[in-house]
Amino acid sequence: MIRTGITGIDEMLGSGIPRGTRVVFSLEPGVEGRMFMMRTIASALSEKKNVCILSPHCTGRVFISECMEILEIDILKLGGKAVILDSTVRESINSREKKVTSRKLAWKKLIEETLEQHSIDVFFVYFDLLYEDLGLMKALDLLPTARERDRVTTVVEHLNLEGDSLISRFASENIFDLIISIHSAFTLVPFFNFFTLEYVSWARIPRRSIPYTVAGRNIRLYIPKIIITGPPASGKSTFVSNASDSGISVDRGDLDGYRTTVAMDLGWLHFRGFDITIFGTPGQPRFDPIIPQLVKNAMGIILLLDATRPDRFVRAKELLDLAHAEKLPLVIAVNKSDLPHQMDEVTIRKVLNLRDDIPVFFISALKRPDVHYVVESMVDRITRHPY
Amino acid sequence: MYTYKTGISLIDEVKGGISPGSNVLILAPSMSSGEKLGYAIMRPQEGEFALVLTTVMRSVDLLDFFSSEEFNRDAIGVIDSVTKLSTPDVSDTTQVKYVSSPSDLTGIGIKFSSLVESIFNGEFPPSDQALFPPPIRFYIDSLTTLLMYRKLEVLYQFLHVMTSKLKKMEAIGIYILNNESFDERTLSLMKQLMNVVIEVKSEQHGDFLRIRGVPGAPQEWVQFKIHKGTLEMVA
Ligand SMILES: Nc1nc2c(ncn2[C@@H]2O[C@H](COP(=O)(O)OP(=O)(O)OP(=O)(O)O)[C@@H](O)[C@H]2O)c(=O)[nH]1
Ligand SMILES: [Mg+2]
Repeated sequence: MIRTGITGIDEMLGSGIPRGTRVVFSLEPGVEGRMFMMRTIASALSEKKNVCILSPHCTGRVFISECMEILEIDILKLGGKAVILDSTVRESINSREKKVTSRKLAWKKLIEETLEQHSIDVFFVYFDLLYEDLGLMKALDLLPTARERDRVTTVVEHLNLEGDSLISRFASENIFDLIISIHSAFTLVPFFNFFTLEYVSWARIPRRSIPYTVAGRNIRLYIPKIIITGPPASGKSTFVSNASDSGISVDRGDLDGYRTTVAMDLGWLHFRGFDITIFGTPGQPRFDPIIPQLVKNAMGIILLLDATRPDRFVRAKELLDLAHAEKLPLVIAVNKSDLPHQMDEVTIRKVLNLRDDIPVFFISALKRPDVHYVVESMVDRITRHPY
Repeated sequence: MYTYKTGISLIDEVKGGISPGSNVLILAPSMSSGEKLGYAIMRPQEGEFALVLTTVMRSVDLLDFFSSEEFNRDAIGVIDSVTKLSTPDVSDTTQVKYVSSPSDLTGIGIKFSSLVESIFNGEFPPSDQALFPPPIRFYIDSLTTLLMYRKLEVLYQFLHVMTSKLKKMEAIGIYILNNESFDERTLSLMKQLMNVVIEVKSEQHGDFLRIRGVPGAPQEWVQFKIHKGTLEMVA
């Protein structure tokens, strides 16, 4: 087993990448996704593995300095052994061998010898120039074969200029055991990056997409905005505050003594490897004009109902419309279910006209475990949503 | 809609400039003024930004050149694919990013995004941006080098992605290619990505350009001069 060293990913894969498998990080142009491979290299070296890095696009010296720049780590000082086959190797093969087949043979021989001689555990391959020099099939042939597989784990990075068709091919022809594609939503602003777990051969994991940021020289799984909305006094501020590690509410005391939210609630939490920001909207109709602005770029919506107030359904529906909830992952939480109430799931589904796959939970926002259960369900839906 | 002035009166007077999302290819023989023409078209005007991918000059020399030609350096970002070959340890600044070599399309794409993001976030010095989206001119100097490092098909696919990004950003792309060193197939594939093609030729009594792809603009050879980084048409 080797680890990617990225919190969240290793857990999702069931503690890491099994020995002898083949992994590909498929990068969309323009996305800072180099860290996935580099983190995995650093992680393998810290675990004292012997690694071979094939980097035909630059010299070993430049490669080390790029790792330094991206990870702020000198990968040669991590304890494991690193053998680098760099651009000078490619140049010498290409100048010596003029035919594609003989180039391939030269590579094959060199790779086999290197893996053998240095007892390599993990083989890291920057694939693009091999693909270009040899064509796809011949380049894939260079990756360790089934015979060697139970020993060597192969991790490949490539720049995907061909899009989804290449990824489906990798998956359908069992070329890789784990396919992670890395993309960006290149809308105007903000830029956000996400990776998609496209395929895993050793576990039943659904295809899922997860946003990330690069922070502190590491990948952080990231959900920039979950919206909590719902009728006045349904418990939104209570929910946000109990969901969060830290947060603020912009509240004001009403004339009759109740506190109501006049701008928004804001909470931050770190949950299952994700950095999450939660925004609570005000519930009072007089603040409706700010809601479209608040929900901009939201990744999911939690609608909070008050179990004791069936008369507030109309307002709940208005808020769902205002937040354009139909386009986003949605979870319904029926709050204050600790109090006597008559609301039931069937009625809620009918009145709000909910799709079958939208979950409805009865909770109390006063209880942290209830709140976390709802957040977990939201995160799960967000990561399965096809962005 | 915003239009980008080119300094070429034949284009600016007919169309007000070049529209966002356009790509301009300069075809020039070696030792001509093609590169300088490229920089003159790339030159950011008031409120604009420019990004340049250099495969020829090191960024230090390029920045010197910008200073001597009185470009607004604050508005320019550079992707340098040259310096690392000799100085592996140089590190990025807000406005100058390094990639390992001209073959490193992964790095080029990433550094491009990062510069664009900085501009959008107001991290370039003239941060009181008046225009949104900020107008950006992106110049690749040169496709000739990129084609020496990568296969035509690969580069085509890469540029295809880049041009669609430029389009989304409402930016323009400018590219220079030495038309003497490539076959017809290369030229015609590259032209497929372009809206405007400017051919350059040098003769004893000066440099000439000819425009293709701008409806209404005259198509004959006209003489030009570049003075302090600014283009002048010779009547
Ligand atoms: N019994 C019970 N009371 C709750 C629960 N959740 C919230 N409350 C109470 O309900 C009241 C309103 O809660 P808030 O969290 O302020 O509601 P809100 O949705 O933010 O209200 P507005 O911002 O005015 O729209 C407070 O007195 C909370 O203590 C719950 O699960 N059970
Ligand atoms: Mg509130």
